[in-house]
Amino acid sequence: MATFPEFISQNEERDGVRFSWNVWPSSRLEATRMVVPLAALLTPLRERPDLPPIQYEPVLCSRATCRAVLNPLCQVDYRAKLWACNFCYQRNQFPPTYTGISEVNQPAELLPQFSTIEYVVQRGPQMPLIFLYVVDTCMEDEDLQALKESLQMSLSLLPPTALVGLITFGRMVQVHELGCEGISKSYVFRGTKDLSAKQLQEMLGLTKPSAAQGARGQQAPQPPLSNRFLQPVQKIDMNLTDLLGELQRDPWPVTQGKRPLRSLGVAMSIAVGLLECTFPNTGARIMTFIGGPATQGPGMVVGDELKTPIRSWHDIEKDNAKYMKKSTKHYEALASRASANGHIMDIYACALDQTGLLEMKCCPNHTGYCYMVMADSFNTSLFKQTFQRVFAKDEQGTFKMAFAATLEIKTSREIKVSGAIGPCVSLNAKGPCVSENEIGTGGTCQWKMCGLDPSTTLALYLEVVNQHNAPIPQGGRGALQFVTQYQHSSGQRRIRVTTTARNWADAQTQIQSIAASFDQEAAAILMARLAVQRAESEEGPDVLRWLDRQLIRLCQKFGDYHKDDPNSFRFSETFSLYPQFMFHLRRSPFLQVFNNSPDESSYYRHQFVRHDLTQALIMVQPVLYAYSFNGPPEPVLLDSSSILPDRILLMDTFFQILIYHGEMVAQWRKAGYQEMTEYENFRHLLQAPVDDAQELLHTRFPMPRYIDTEHGGSQARFLLSKVNPSQTHNNMYNWGQESGAPILTDDVSLQVFMDHLKKLAVSSAA
Amino acid sequence: MDDLFVKPGNQERGWNDPPQFSYGLQVAGSTRSPLTKRGPPPPAAGLQAPPPCGDPSPDQQATSPHLHGITPPPHKMTTPTHRITPPPSGVTPPLSQATSSPCGSRLPPPPKGGPCPMSRPPSGPDSKAPCGPRAEPDPQPEPDLQAVSSVLAEALEACRQNVSRQVCEDIAKRLRLLEDSWTSGRLSSTVKRRMNALTLEMKSSHWSAADDIHRSLMVDHVTEVSQWMVGIKRLIAETRNLSPELLAFSPADPVQPEPVGN
Repeated sequence: MATFPEFISQNEERDGVRFSWNVWPSSRLEATRMVVPLAALLTPLRERPDLPPIQYEPVLCSRATCRAVLNPLCQVDYRAKLWACNFCYQRNQFPPTYTGISEVNQPAELLPQFSTIEYVVQRGPQMPLIFLYVVDTCMEDEDLQALKESLQMSLSLLPPTALVGLITFGRMVQVHELGCEGISKSYVFRGTKDLSAKQLQEMLGLTKPSAAQGARGQQAPQPPLSNRFLQPVQKIDMNLTDLLGELQRDPWPVTQGKRPLRSLGVAMSIAVGLLECTFPNTGARIMTFIGGPATQGPGMVVGDELKTPIRSWHDIEKDNAKYMKKSTKHYEALASRASANGHIMDIYACALDQTGLLEMKCCPNHTGYCYMVMADSFNTSLFKQTFQRVFAKDEQGTFKMAFAATLEIKTSREIKVSGAIGPCVSLNAKGPCVSENEIGTGGTCQWKMCGLDPSTTLALYLEVVNQHNAPIPQGGRGALQFVTQYQHSSGQRRIRVTTTARNWADAQTQIQSIAASFDQEAAAILMARLAVQRAESEEGPDVLRWLDRQLIRLCQKFGDYHKDDPNSFRFSETFSLYPQFMFHLRRSPFLQVFNNSPDESSYYRHQFVRHDLTQALIMVQPVLYAYSFNGPPEPVLLDSSSILPDRILLMDTFFQILIYHGEMVAQWRKAGYQEMTEYENFRHLLQAPVDDAQELLHTRFPMPRYIDTEHGGSQARFLLSKVNPSQTHNNMYNWGQESGAPILTDDVSLQVFMDHLKKLAVSSAA
Repeated sequence: MDDLFVKPGNQERGWNDPPQFSYGLQVAGSTRSPLTKRGPPPPAAGLQAPPPCGDPSPDQQATSPHLHGITPPPHKMTTPTHRITPPPSGVTPPLSQATSSPCGSRLPPPPKGGPCPMSRPPSGPDSKAPCGPRAEPDPQPEPDLQAVSSVLAEALEACRQNVSRQVCEDIAKRLRLLEDSWTSGRLSSTVKRRMNALTLEMKSSHWSAADDIHRSLMVDHVTEVSQWMVGIKRLIAETRNLSPELLAFSPADPVQPEPVGN
């Protein structure tokens, strides 16, 4: 058999799943003793260009409470044309179209290599993509101009049949009618009063009378394919380009010492209402572009007096954030309406100060893979390129975005699902596989993700329910099935089905094989998501204590040591990186709010809980590469000892790409050696990390910041704050030796952390 | 290769703004494997994937007491001796600033010549252009407005039979804007050249290629072209729907065909 690392990576590539444990403890009690819960990181739409589109519908188990999809794990009786469901053991007749089935003539879904398969549903109308732009006009001319140009540019990237709409706001909210007659017409709303969907429908004269909310399930009448506010790009691109070009700064005067009045809350509410009335249960994106915080009406996060700054962590701790609760509630209500209808809410916030992402985070978080983007100005490459990449296409030339998805999970009888952490909302679907113990968004076996892309990843927490001392469950393997139904960007409905199984093992006799199956990278991210979720509601130190406690318990359970002898502690290779991930996680902006505004913390956490394992791991423990004359670039330890004078370092923290020139390299560069022909190799050395950095910048979404710094440079702090401070001003014995750079910090180093960990793990008092 | 470039970000407005990639580069995609590896296992101490000691068989590894335990990363890197020695004394760095290194000693220059092992070879054909603003290459003569606008005008004429008057007028308005910008010198030569390429594609009924050039212009030069480009876009969309016989571009044309990015 392949080694576990090979097994794990094959499974990830094929099925987009990583489990914390790849051999499962067979009883509830033993499972809880594993410390790290049995859980999965699932990337439902992981890019699989090799998957053939299956042009028929999946065959379902006939038991009403099961409805699992026929898969390679099912037992098939080819003579009787029967198949047994591997989840509920129901025997099912094959449908008439499968009469030709035999051992040598199997449908794709029974072949082992199709443990992940995608069905293209033929019935139902092809829905257009809908993009509703909600544009703030309270910003400097330069910013507004850049934003207008980006929006005009986006019309060229949209498919011609996509519907677009435009709402602008400042003190007032304007809903623009997109006629083709060359006359611009808009409906103006006050920004201080919220409107229900019904009021909006009457005021805008919208034609769709059927109740938008709660229409799920029942057959809604065919919605009109466009209306005066949402029109196909190909029809109104010229008018909309002009309309955007003519947008002016909000004309209301802003007096000295005041913020402009920005009716963001009402603007977003109108956007949600407009789509709710006209396109319920259809994939749509509401893209909101803001240059500052909401300052009036429902959803305001700060008053218009500049002398009162926007809430800080300090204010929140002191319960002194006047508008926070109320506005959070406003945006949460909007998010739940939008997600009920399958609509995505993106936020592009470009301002130097905070804009209220903390209050609005539920909009992107609840509505799926949405883009919450934070930049300084709309006239930056960071915003422009991030926005362009929203419309990136895959190899088949379709958008990488998918809409209105539901994920359902089916489990073997011995497993239940506790919940999910990631960009999803519960669909409150009860069923036999729902656990009573909730983790994250729980109490359901179905979740809605209004938007997702190939890297969107959910953490799914599982519970083993088999009783202690009960025999190993039938078949020796536990199975899971993930069924993701979504609207592909081509308009088709598609169903991606992944069925996967792992061996059970008796933890009392086979603990080694369970330990050997530990996936420390997946486990680190699964624990990190739990910690980040706690951090949203609990005090920072409590979260760190919880995380430490879990780590100590894991060391106690799986370490090899003599009681009260820290030096005897040994951890097997499968676990060896895990403590280090936890060390860096504790220092990360996901758990530490120090030096970050509430908006920044919300932003970092938002990104962390939706990206796939590789990206999330980069966020926790940045990747560091060294370039020198001594050989090709090599990955080096994220440690202060890696900072050497004759090296260039390239650090990727996901949010930043940083190039750091060591002391000597910086001096050489200053001296201009790279210009001299005989030192051409030095010029190449300088160029190599730049080229690699560009490669990272090229593929990353959202666009990271790019820092070029050197020894002693002020921005070197970004590197110094990330590396393990193995040398500090406190242990100066290393100074003068060419072995790294001391960091001026009182933070504990990994070495100290590990010493304490070992002490605590082996302590008989613990 | 006008369409493959990287220009610096807007440092005035954005703190550490990343560079901007042209449409051509963005579409081209990545050519190298991503840098996602972590630090190597240091030989002396193994927190990061310690090498098995005594080479236990894989199934023993989980419990083997001989394995390396958790020990801190080393204070020294693998080869602490890779100090660059100054070149022979005969070679004095000609730059005087180099003499003032903080440690008081002379700054040894970087090693000269030799192979350059420090860059990763690209795993595919290298489509990257050097970073930073590029000097505008100007090997070809500037395209002629007449040639460009005549193709567009002919396409518009062909459209008039099938497309509503309003739309045609809107397109015509934008074609005039294009001509104004061109004659008043507000268009860069890159834009002019790509417009020329676009019209050549239209002439040969390569609608997707023409559309792609329009997109690249919108992405790379939106400030210059945003006002009128949508007219061209519409024109491409309308003419591709026309039956071919309505499209009779005048064959004699002085413009030389020019290779396009795709």
